[in-house]
Amino acid sequence: MSKSGRDSYRDELTKLAFSNEQIICIEADLGGKNHPFEQSHPDRFFNLGIAELASIDIAAGLAEAGFVPFFSSFASFAAVRAAESIKLAMGYMEKNIKIVAAYGGVSGGWFGTTHHCLEDIAIIQSFQNIRIACPHGELETRRVIREAAESKEPYYIRLARNAVYDSLDRAEESSCKDILIEGKVHTNAKLCLISIGEEATELCKTIVQENDSVVHAHLCYVDIISLKSYIGDLKQLSDTILVVEEHRATGSSASNLALLMPECKVYSHDCGEKWPMYGGTHKDVLDYLGFGLEPLQQQIHLIGGTDGF
Amino acid sequence: MPYSEHLNNLVALTKEARKLIIDMAASETGCHIGGSLSVIDLLIGVYSKYVKDENTTIVLSKGHTAAALYATLYLYDLIEDNPAESYGQKGSLFTGHPNHKLPHIPFSTGSLGHGIPYAAGWALGQKVKNQDGLGIVLGGDGELQEGLCWETAQIIQAKSISNFVYIVDCNGGQNDGYVSDISPIHNLRQRFESFGFQVEEIDGHNMEHILAALELSHEKPLALLATTIKGKGVEAIEGNPDAHYAKIPERVASKWKRSLV
Repeated sequence: MSKSGRDSYRDELTKLAFSNEQIICIEADLGGKNHPFEQSHPDRFFNLGIAELASIDIAAGLAEAGFVPFFSSFASFAAVRAAESIKLAMGYMEKNIKIVAAYGGVSGGWFGTTHHCLEDIAIIQSFQNIRIACPHGELETRRVIREAAESKEPYYIRLARNAVYDSLDRAEESSCKDILIEGKVHTNAKLCLISIGEEATELCKTIVQENDSVVHAHLCYVDIISLKSYIGDLKQLSDTILVVEEHRATGSSASNLALLMPECKVYSHDCGEKWPMYGGTHKDVLDYLGFGLEPLQQQIHLIGGTDGF
Repeated sequence: MPYSEHLNNLVALTKEARKLIIDMAASETGCHIGGSLSVIDLLIGVYSKYVKDENTTIVLSKGHTAAALYATLYLYDLIEDNPAESYGQKGSLFTGHPNHKLPHIPFSTGSLGHGIPYAAGWALGQKVKNQDGLGIVLGGDGELQEGLCWETAQIIQAKSISNFVYIVDCNGGQNDGYVSDISPIHNLRQRFESFGFQVEEIDGHNMEHILAALELSHEKPLALLATTIKGKGVEAIEGNPDAHYAKIPERVASKWKRSLV
């Protein structure tokens, strides 16, 4: 049975640490209970408590001492609360720190607005130098964790809560920095859907099954350097692009791609401007924000005009 | 070298460092002279003991006193260029707050509080590696208004990071005036003790005290509360919180340098 992104992270990091003695696992009271890493590598596991700013700076000191610290918390407490530490230690000073941020978007559902984060990618993107990955499903999450551990670059890895998704079919030798393409047309499609993150990818998988004229490009890495590397391939796929991302429009990947591809029509299916103030499941909160299959279908219809897709 | 000679050499070095700091205050930008003159004896003392210890990191967390750090690094031959010649200028790495692009500055400080957890992380790394290295941080008393300092003290206690030395330059001043007027730090000794630190109070301008404090063995993290005087060495500004930042004319700099004891 597949694991959620969070469980995949814990399990993969624990495995990697057997062969990589530089890996250190840091938690901030939101994932440390019965952590497999602690059970296997207790001398390299630190639950630093509810102290996100200090945790990132401590990770910087550990990185300078030669370690590869992975710090995990919820996206809101990592990207927003600890933003200045990330800006300085990971952006400006490029310390080799990996942040694994669960509860990305509104995956916290009924936990409420304090636990949602629709702004994290915009914040981290603005700091430069930080790789940003939004893996989908167990296999991609495990692979991103391995890539992060091998890299000397700072990483921000956005995960959701505990939902389990069927992994996409990514070739064994493929890097997560490669675009993963689904659909019957692979060039000059009428519309290219770009999915970023788990729910967005699920929506795009459904649309592409319904509509032969649409191609689906799944992007795992969405930092500016990665986005620039995709441009040539994306233009081959279509000159009309709809980016589906569980995030605000401000600072979204759609806004960045629009700047990088001025000759293309770039649209965004995002979570809009409203605050997610109500409870409910992850899907319920997304519905309230206008993010889901039906509004996406309507948006595709509008983009296609009278001719449709 | 006999201890007395070593001591005299260090005191002489602090005088040279003060001249460099005054030169930086006479630059086109001026510098944070008050705190630089209060922390310089501590910096010279710490570097004299740990300059060659690769397992120990020294972080100036009160980064606005970068002039003191640059002077120290220059006098210990850790950077080649005289910082006073390009401090604050276009194209110079000698920015108003410590710049990690320079050698021997591992962490760019200046946004207060961050140097303490960085040094704690380094110290934790030495523990994991079973090495004897220390994390040494020089902070300010005004800086202790930042919650991050205490967030880190909490972690240092919780994770028993005993190979950590926190030197607080207690000069009583901050940007807008006296610490005691703005947001006093009451019961500092008791505060650190409550976080599991061994606490020693020293005269932060007495090199003998400083060196002796650095020799203290400690099974707990060590907090050295150093009483200092803002602007120490320049009578015209000693103890005046308005000397937090100053830009002075060359003739004043010459006068102040001549008057140094």
